[in-house]
Formats: sequence, structure tokens, C-alpha cells
Amino acid sequence: MKSFVRFSVIKAFVLKELTELVRTKLIIMVYMMPSMVTILFGYGIAMDVTHSRISIIDNDNSKYSSELISKFSHSKYFDVTLTHESEAEALEAIKKAQSDIVLIIPSSFEKNLLKGQKSELGVFIDAAFANRASTMQNYVQGVIQSAATTSAPMITLNTRTLFNQAMRDEDAIVPGLIGLVLLVAPAILTALLIVKEKEKGTIFNFYASPIGKLEFLIAKLLPVLMLHSLNIFILFIWATYLFDVPFRGSFFLYWLSSEIYILISLSIGMLISIIAKRQIVAVVLTVIITILPAFLYSGMLMPISSMQGISWVEAHIFPVMYYNHILYDTFLIGQGFDSPKIVLYLCILIGYVVALLGLGALFLKKEMR
Amino acid sequence: MKSLFFAIVFKELKSFMRSAALVAVVLYSFTIDIYVAGEGIDIEPRNVAVGYVDNSGGGISKKILSNLHSPEFVAPVQFLSQKELSNAIYNKEIMVGLVFDNDFEKLYREKKNTQLNVLLDATSASQGFTTLMYLQSILLSFEDIQIPLELKIHKLFNQNSDNKSFMALSELLSLITMLVVILTAIVFVKEKEDGTWDIMLLMPIDAKLTILAKTLSQVIIVMGGVILSLGFVIFGMFDTPMNGSFWSFIFLTFLYTFSSAGIGLFVAAIAKDVMQVAQFSIVIMIPLIFLSGAWTPVYTMHPFFQVLSFFSPLRYYIEGSESIFYRGTPFLDLYPYYFGVMILGFILYIIGFKKIGRLF
Amino acid sequence: MADLHLMDAFHVSGVSVRYKDKTAISDVSFEATSGEIIGFIGADGAGKSSLMQAIAGVVRFSGEISYLGQSYHSPKEAEKIKIHTGFMPQGIGLVLYDTLTVDEHLRFFADLRDLKKDAEFLAYKKQLLHMSGLSEFVDRQAMNLSGGMMQKLSLICALLHRPKLLILDEPTTGVDPLSRLELWEILRNIAKEEGTIILVSTAYMQEASKMDRVLLFHNSKVIASGTSAELIDSIRPFVYEKSLLYKDENSLNFDETSYSLTPLQSALKEPTLEGLFFVNALKENKNIAEFVINKKENDEVIPEVVMECHGVSKQFGSFIANKEIDMKLKKGEILGLLGANGAGKTTFIKMLLGLYSIDEGELTLLGKPIKSGKDRQELKSKIGYVSQHFALYKDMSVKENLLYFASMHRIDKKAALSRIALYAKELGFEEYLGSFANELPLGVNQRFSIAAALLHEPLVLFLDEPTSGVDTLARAQFWQILGKLKEIWGISILITTHYMSEAQFCDRVVLLKNGQKVADDTVINLYKRFPQAQSFEDIFLEFYKEKG
Repeated sequence: MKSFVRFSVIKAFVLKELTELVRTKLIIMVYMMPSMVTILFGYGIAMDVTHSRISIIDNDNSKYSSELISKFSHSKYFDVTLTHESEAEALEAIKKAQSDIVLIIPSSFEKNLLKGQKSELGVFIDAAFANRASTMQNYVQGVIQSAATTSAPMITLNTRTLFNQAMRDEDAIVPGLIGLVLLVAPAILTALLIVKEKEKGTIFNFYASPIGKLEFLIAKLLPVLMLHSLNIFILFIWATYLFDVPFRGSFFLYWLSSEIYILISLSIGMLISIIAKRQIVAVVLTVIITILPAFLYSGMLMPISSMQGISWVEAHIFPVMYYNHILYDTFLIGQGFDSPKIVLYLCILIGYVVALLGLGALFLKKEMR
Repeated sequence: MKSLFFAIVFKELKSFMRSAALVAVVLYSFTIDIYVAGEGIDIEPRNVAVGYVDNSGGGISKKILSNLHSPEFVAPVQFLSQKELSNAIYNKEIMVGLVFDNDFEKLYREKKNTQLNVLLDATSASQGFTTLMYLQSILLSFEDIQIPLELKIHKLFNQNSDNKSFMALSELLSLITMLVVILTAIVFVKEKEDGTWDIMLLMPIDAKLTILAKTLSQVIIVMGGVILSLGFVIFGMFDTPMNGSFWSFIFLTFLYTFSSAGIGLFVAAIAKDVMQVAQFSIVIMIPLIFLSGAWTPVYTMHPFFQVLSFFSPLRYYIEGSESIFYRGTPFLDLYPYYFGVMILGFILYIIGFKKIGRLF
Repeated sequence: MADLHLMDAFHVSGVSVRYKDKTAISDVSFEATSGEIIGFIGADGAGKSSLMQAIAGVVRFSGEISYLGQSYHSPKEAEKIKIHTGFMPQGIGLVLYDTLTVDEHLRFFADLRDLKKDAEFLAYKKQLLHMSGLSEFVDRQAMNLSGGMMQKLSLICALLHRPKLLILDEPTTGVDPLSRLELWEILRNIAKEEGTIILVSTAYMQEASKMDRVLLFHNSKVIASGTSAELIDSIRPFVYEKSLLYKDENSLNFDETSYSLTPLQSALKEPTLEGLFFVNALKENKNIAEFVINKKENDEVIPEVVMECHGVSKQFGSFIANKEIDMKLKKGEILGLLGANGAGKTTFIKMLLGLYSIDEGELTLLGKPIKSGKDRQELKSKIGYVSQHFALYKDMSVKENLLYFASMHRIDKKAALSRIALYAKELGFEEYLGSFANELPLGVNQRFSIAAALLHEPLVLFLDEPTSGVDTLARAQFWQILGKLKEIWGISILITTHYMSEAQFCDRVVLLKNGQKVADDTVINLYKRFPQAQSFEDIFLEFYKEKG
């Protein structure tokens, strides 16, 4: 009787796949894509809105008004332009996306303040980018509040930010990017591995030989897993050395969960490859179903705890959330295996692998259809 | 000549329609995928989970807490010790923790400086920051400090700060890029893989015509998807405002899809099989999408990237589209976007055209 | 004796294969004992491949197959015998990986079967490589092999693990005569020495004589079986010397032979296995009608010399594919281009077409010197081409494909439809018009590609193995059409083939060997040069046995 899985058979396929990946130069992409995405986004994505372009129309030209203006000038969040345009012209500039905010200081500003009367400041914000608009609104309010309250309020906030003390965007984003690329890149590579053979006809080598389904699946997944495993380390280096993201947790946990996560990504790609009859379908489907959830449910844009309704359910369906939780823990928190939640999430990830591989083995048929 | 051109276009469209799975996937992308993107995310703090430990035992803390309400906050959860609270934050069940010390009530009543301790999960930095701002202003209003200034804030173009339609629109624009590049590239590479390439070369037709017809067919498919998506999702589900002209958007989209098809041509020229198409297009598209400002505003980027972003046609497309939808910029004032897309599109198309034309 | 073999007996009983709406093969039963070679012959699409796929356990079927005392009814149950089987599906280079070299393929297939790489294995591998003539090409990637070489590589990959049950679907299609001889040598050795049961389908009827038993497939059924001699005997009464006197639905003529169900006055002739197909066609009342072709409406002036080239050479890396070839194709001439696999036939034709650039040499097509791609542009509509693996657009039906090709050649739809109908009838692919390209049997695919090449009524045809894998009847019809085209339209044809018997239909034959021209003469003159030759195949072999 033959044993459960035979090493030589798997080796044959692994060697073949590796040779093909090298000859078709796809191996370059295996390493280029994840690093490129991480570096580009790591440098580029800023969640903070800095340098909002604010046009101030100062109708008062007084000491008080210039004090207020200088508060804005000194803030890193604003790039101030003093303008003598009419209100309509300034609004037109927003319409043409040449400015983001218009602040109008009324002519009686100083007079009213001295009299202790209220004066009204007009603020116009470009809300085309809704999130940015809210953030800008908060900043404007913040500056004006701090300018107005000369005496300190009685309750002060004694804030201790956890995990990301400096509130650096890099710390918040780079680990999430790892979760993104390790889901997308391996899936896209595997998505074509089986459907390609179906389209070309080489799948007969599998159909007509005594290779077990399990052997075939392992043989198909192993080369990609091996290649992408190296990315776990490469991405770690980018995160910690290039972006100075702290690493507070267990490296073993990081490595282990990443390997499992890559396996999930591979299994998703493989499942698509098994179901799809045409390569083009497999490509488009993989791109669509991995990139978006990887972004949405990464926790980069929005904490999962803030999600409700459909998005909460969806976030719990996609594996991204579980992996990212562990990922952020290893980088920023460092609870590791002490946290029962992390152990639970790790088990859930393993559950995904088992379920997806099981589905793959179920759908994979050793016969023509 | 004309009929030949349309024969090719027609053949490619038919070929697309024949693959039920492909049609389904494209339909899914233009409808459900965009819906999920719009529905799923809110970058503004919403439903922030707050936990607190109240050692002050008094009414002030309760009053403050009662100010934390939806949509920004979910009802605060009480913890018995700071340790439990920290654990909850570590496990990401709670984002903001408030600790009212023993002497909180006493100090406040004595009108002394009082401290409220805040523990904040700043993993998503911007949300953390905005949450702090909220807290600050809640405290200000709680203490009823009179500011002699009143802010009258007008949000232009999108009064409700409707984030959903914005996210859905962004997703649509990125999706157009991805699909048009991949589909165009595959139309050519499929011929290489299936061995019909030689046959195509031997047809007594100008190579330019073939290339143009094949790209047009994919542009038509994507444009069809765009219209579907606009009708069902963008306008249908999210009530996205349309302050500008619908047709300027369609025109801009057409210019843009054609220029992105140029990228597809380039990918097709360098790729040998569908596998390579998948990899190459992602490597080319991601920087392109990134540099466009779809995910992060251009002027907040690293200065080097800001310069590079001038070369992403998607940048002009996105800015142009936002202007049309929200700002209602009139057709003639949109010229920078049209020119941006057209010039870059022309260059990309010529490069792609030349590159693939060499194989003919 | 019989008892001894009981365990390795192979039974097929009541096997049927059905696809969605059509029956591919129905209710076949036969058996074989160890060491037997069983041939599957029959028209394209008669169900040979489906039966093979069922036996190989790669497609669902009903009925029972048993081997070595184990019976199976589904692909799943067939798993247990796959360790003993070797299967080579139909299609040129289908099971090969483009970027792997010959040697890497052998290693892959050996590992796939978990073979020990001992001295015995290495010797066997060397023998297989030598037999297939691939010894010199071990480091070449599959995508750079010629069609015939791909076939041979696929075959030796299937032989590598010394299967006990070998299932070969048209292994010799596209393989040159010399290699075919060697290949059969090996098959017979395996059958004799290892007791392997070999099921093999073929379109080369000469090979049938090397089989122990032949099953004749027709319309999804096995209609006859026996040794090739028995089958030949069965049609003996219906085969006559050529007689032009009788012409009715009960008789037909092909080449130098007449077939008739009613007695003819001319003398009986020694039948061949090909005759089986003609007689069968008569019995089915499916007469091959005279091909009717009209003179072209706008007769163009065709130059006396259609194609002329001097010193044409092509090199791929260090491999010289074509070396200083001179050739001339005259108006209204059928020129056969023969040679072993990898001799440079396809490369040469692709250079003529402009699919490969010409490294050195001059080429004149239809009186026009070819210097650049532009020179070819207007000639494209005057040239017809059939390639070794002619491909269709997979997601369109045969008819849609043909209409598309017609529209590319600016043929109006009405004319296109009538031409398609004509060729579909003549070449016998009417029933496949609605099928999708990837569902076609290889032979039908070739017929369709011939139609595609003729649709726009070209002045010159370049045909690269148009008849490979095509069944006897369709080939006969095909050559009739070519003859008519030459006669009525005066077109010139350059054709490659591995059916040496087809050489006699050519006005002139050019032989290529290792990229060089070694003969250029009429068939009659070549027979004169080798008086001892029984058939043209012998002449071909003579050239290849000569050293150098």
C-alpha cells in the first residue's frame, strides 16, 4: 500500500513549479510586489490631515484678528493664505479645488470681543472628501477654542496613548500593510496554478496518474508557501528598520501566525483556481475579493470595535481581522500567548486553513468536466 | 474598414458574454463590491467603544459619561479595576478608557484643577486623535465655558459629510482602473496562449485597427459596468449628489478608460501568459492608484511622491470626478482634468501601442 | 495458459460515456490479455478518445472496466489501477510544460511515479531518448520543440514508468515515418517483454497491421473488431481496380481504386485497411460527392512563379533550423515538403508567412520581393495558411469562428455562409458547426482549419500538416479538393505531411534533413532513383538512413 503522502511525488511538483516560476521570471514579482506596496504605502499614506489650505478673509484687520490668524499660521495642520478676495471669489476657489477652507473674520471682530459680545466667524469647508472635512472641522474648532479660552479649563485630559505613543502613522499603518500584502500576493499567485493546467491540458498528468488529491494540493501550495515565507522576514525588516515601527511582542508568534495566514491566502487562491474554468475569471475574481476586504477590515482605516451591522459581520468573516489583531499585538502591544484572545484568534486562523483546504479537496475532482 | 473594425469589437464582446463566470465576476465588482466599500467603512470615529473605571463614586463622572452618546460613541461600559479596563483595550474591545480617580469629584467641587485620565488605543492614529478632540469639546461644553466666539460652519458640496457615497465612488474609480488594465491585457495575451496569435497576424488587416478594436471592446465592457454601478449603487443605494453634469463624467470616464487600456497594452506586450498579466498589472497599477490620491490626499504625500503623482492619470480622473460630483464644476472649468487624462492617456496608449505593435 | 493470464486480463463491458446532451460512446465491450496491442480506428469523433478517457479513469462513464482482478465504475474507483496505467491524451504537446526542458520532463514524470533512479532506469531512459531522437535535445525547453518532437516526448513520458496498461490516443499524429517505425518497435517490445496491454488509436492505417487486434469505431459504437487481416478480408468483395464506368450511389472512386457494393466489371484488387472507411461510407449511404467548385468570378492574373527563395536561413541560438534553402513554387503546382520532425519544415513555412523573420536569403512572393512587413500586408489576403496546431477562438462556435475569419477577409456574409456550408459538407464537419472549439476532436479541428484557409479563395496555400490526425475519408476528400482547386483556380500549394502515401498527390517533393534541402524532384523521378522502393516511405527512409 502506498503511504498517505509521498515525498518524491510532492518534490517532483515543487521542483517543476519552482522551475516554471523562475523561467517565467514570476519569482521577481513574488518579492517585488509585497515590498513595493509596503514601502510605497508606508511612506505615503497619511491619515492625519496636515497642510490644509485655509484662506482667511480678514475684514477686521485688528490686533485680535491677527492674533487669531497667527494661531493658524503656527499650526502644522494649516497652510494659511491671507486674501482680500470677496467671499464669493474665495468660495469659487474651493469649487476649483484650489483651497480647502475659507475663514471669514467679521469687521466688528475686535470691537465685539472687547465689548464682551459674541462674534460670529464664518467657516466654509470643502466636504467633497467627507472624512477630511470632519477632521478639518475639528482642527479649526481646536485652534479657535484654544485661542478663545485664555483661562485653562478645570478638567484637563491626562491622556496616555497606548501602543502608539507618538501617534505615528507609520506605526498604525505598516503592520496593517503586512496583513494586506500577505493576503493579496500569495492568493494571486496560486489562483492560476491549477486553472492554468486545466486550460492548457497538463492537468491530465494529475488526472491520469496515481497522485492523491492531497498530494497534489500540497505540491501546488508548497512552492508558493516557501517563496512567500521569505516575505515574512523581508516585510519585518522594512517595518522595523525602514519605518522604525517598534516590535514588542514575540517574533515566534509573528512568524507562526504569518505562515498560517499565508496558508489561508494560498487556500483562497487555490479554491478559486479549482472552481474557475478560465484563467481570466480567476485573476479578476482574486483581485476583487482579496484587495478590498484586506483594506476595509485591516483595522487601519477603522477599528473593528467601531463597526456595526453588516460590516461587523463581514469583518468577522474575513480572516484579515484575526491576523491583524495578532500582528498589531506583536508589533505594538506585546501580550503574545498570554492573551487568551490571541490564542483564540490563532486557532480561528488555523480553522480557516483546515476549512479552506477541506473545501478545496472536496471540489477538486480527478476527472474531466 | 469600418465594418471590419466593428466585426472585431463585436467578436470580443461576444467572447466576453460567453463566459458566464466572467460576466458574473464583473457584475459583482461593479455592484456588490462597490456597495460593500461604501457601506463598510467610516474613517470618522463612529461607535467608539468606551470603557471606564469610576472611583470617584459621584455624580459628575456620570454626567460626563452621559455626554458620550451615539453616533460617535457607544454606551460606555463599566470596569471594576483599571487592570480589567487595560485588558479590554489590549484585546481591542475598547478603544478609549476613562479613569475617574478617587479625588475627582472632590477636586472638581473645590474648583481645583482636576484630571481625567484617558487611556487611548492609538493603533489607528487619526481616529485616536479625533476621538480626543471630541472628548475635549464634550468637556468644554460640560463645563459650560463661554467662548465669546461662535463658529458658523458650512460644509460645502456634501452637506451631510456623506462618507459612504465618497468611499463607494473612490472604489468605483479604482475598480475601473484595475478592470480595464487586466481585461485589455488578457484579451491580447489570451491569443498568445491559445495560439490564435499567428492567425491574427495573418489577417489582412492593419495591426493598428486590430489593436484599437480590441481595446475599444474592453472599454465598452467597463463603461457598461460604470453605468450599471452609477445607476444601482452610486445613485441608487447611496444617493450620491450629482452637482455637475452626468455627461462630463461619462466623457471623462471614457477618456480615462482608454488611457488605462494603454497600460493594459503595455502589460500585454511584456507578459507571456495570464499569470504574468496578473502580476505585472498589479505591480503597475498599485503605484498608479496610490499616487492618484484615491487613498490619501496628494498634498499630504512625501514631496517626491507629490511630483510623481502628476504622472498618474488616475489623479486627474479622481479629482475631476470629485469636482463633477460634489463641487458641480462646470464642463469648461474641468479642462485641466480632461487635458491631464488625455495627455497622459495619449502617452500611455502610444507606448503600449508601440510595444504591442512590435509583436505584430 | 488461459488461467495463467486470468489475473491480468482486461475487460471492458458495456461502457458508455455521455456528455451533457450527446453520447460520445455507447455500450462498448471488449477484452484483452497481457501483451496484446489493441488498435482503435475510426472516423474522427467516433468515440475513440472518450473510451480511452474512460479506461484511463479521467472521465465519468457507465458500465464496468476491470483489470488485474479489480473492477471500476468511476474515475474514483479507477484510482487503484492508475499506478499501472500510462495515458497519453490526444493533442500535440498537451501534457508538456512550456518552460521545462526535455530532461526536466523526464525527471518530473519519473518522480511523479515515484521511480527509483537506478542504473536500470537510466539505461531505459537513455533508450527512450535515443528511440525518440531527442537525445540531442535534452536541454531544450518544450515550447521550442517541433510538434512531432512534442508528441514523442509526451509518449516517452507515458512509457517511463513501464505501465502495465498503456493508453495512447493518437501518439503518432505529427510524427515522422522514421520515428513512427522506431516507436512501434518500442511498443512491440514492451508488449512482448513486459506483457503490457497497449490500447492505441491511430489515423495511420499502415500501423494497424502491427496491432494484434483492431476495433473499428463508427458513430459512437464499435462496429467491427478483429485482426487487421480479418478486417481487410471483410471488404475484399467490394474493392476493384479503378473503373470509371460505373458511377452510382453504390460505388465511389478514390485514387487508383474503386469501391462498390454492387459487383463491378473491373478486376478485384487487394484491399487495404483504408478501404474499410470507403466501404463503410458506402454502406452508410454517405457517398463522397464530387466536389463542385466554380471558376472564380474575378480571375486574377497569377504570376508563373508564385514563390521563390534563395539561400534562406534561420538560426535559433546555436541551433540552425534552416540552412540556405532554395525553393521555387510554380503556378498551379502542389509541392510536398517532407522531412523528419525538427527538420525545419514549420520554420520554413513560418518564414514564408512572415511569422518568423528571415535571417538570411531572399524571398519573392507572388512576384513581389519581400523586404519588410509592409510588403506582406497586401499579400495577406492572397495567402491561405493551416498550421500544425491551428487554433480557434475557444469561446466561439466553429461557425462563428469561420464567419469571423470571413469578415476579416471582407467576404460578405451571404457568400461566407454559402462557402462555409459547402466546405462543411465536403470536409464533413457539418455536425460540428455549432460546437465550441475546445470540444472538437483533433481531426475535425484540422478540417475546419482547412476550410478557414480556403474561405477567402487564396492564390497560394501554405499547409503545415493539414492532414495530421484526420481520418481516411476526410483526407481522401481533402486531396480531391486540393486537386480541384489546382485545376480550376490554378492555385499553388505548399504542403507538409507525414503520410508518405500522400506524396504521390504532389507534383514535386522537397525533402528537408537537418534544415537542409536533400532532394527536390518529382515523385516518379524519385522512384526511378530508388527502384527497389516498395512505397514512398521506403524512399523517405533511404534519405534518412544515408549518413550526414
